[in-house]
Amino acid sequence: MELTDAGLVARVLVDDDQHAYGELVRRHQSSVRGLLRQLTRGDFALADDLAQDAFIRAYRNIRSFRGEAKFSTWLYRIAYNCFRENARKRKELVGINEEQWQSEQDPQTVDAGLRHDLMHALSLLPLPERAAVLLCCQQGLSHDEAARVLDIPLGTVKTNVLRGREKLKKTLAAWGQQ
Amino acid sequence: MSGEVEQDWLDKKLQEALPYIEDDGFTARVLQQLPRPQARLQFLRPFILVAASALASALTYVLSDGGRFIIVEMFKITTIPTAWVVVFALASGMLVMAGGIVAAMSKADHAQS
Repeated sequence: MELTDAGLVARVLVDDDQHAYGELVRRHQSSVRGLLRQLTRGDFALADDLAQDAFIRAYRNIRSFRGEAKFSTWLYRIAYNCFRENARKRKELVGINEEQWQSEQDPQTVDAGLRHDLMHALSLLPLPERAAVLLCCQQGLSHDEAARVLDIPLGTVKTNVLRGREKLKKTLAAWGQQ
Repeated sequence: MSGEVEQDWLDKKLQEALPYIEDDGFTARVLQQLPRPQARLQFLRPFILVAASALASALTYVLSDGGRFIIVEMFKITTIPTAWVVVFALASGMLVMAGGIVAAMSKADHAQS
């Protein structure tokens, strides 16, 4: 029988079992790397470095995981913190202001392919909205879980999801509901 | 209704845009960088405890003039009125029971969380 995340975490805590931790990494690497790839606007190398850093940090701090939230939620929070710290270090301005976003709405600039357009539209969202939309709509977290990951109030998460969705819908309006 | 359909459509497209990322050695790279587990000396634990207890007992025996104080204190206990001994025994029992209940409750809380 396959062990649950909680069971694997218990093995890591009690026996310092790195094989169990390897299984946790295997289970969550795709979603964590995917989230970071989109937060870094498609910088795969940076996203993978951050994901690696996040998993190592999670292992070092696994005793602080109390099982109140899902392991994946706890992991997303660490990954998001790694991303924020890195962004601060690089002094990169995460997010694009409204004016710039509006100027990108010219349909002529929209590339072919819905997926490409969606990624493009996502990358134009300001970080708080992008992160909230990615966590809630793509990764399937509840608003409450996303608030924990992003360390912001629940109401702010709801607002950011709503705003992000509106902007995405506007950008993708040309595609209709195909 | 159309809002819900729109929402489902957007969520679906967003989820489709996140394909499964193959591991391609990622897990192995993470495991290589994990700090090494500390050497486990757990098997030594009972030996250390027994040795420490034996040492403490020997020291007590030597320093207390062959344990004479135990005989003296035992003699004193026999002179205490029976009613006091019963009260003392009851109080001790209740204290131990309370401790047990508190420990069990905290364990149950921990298991639930």
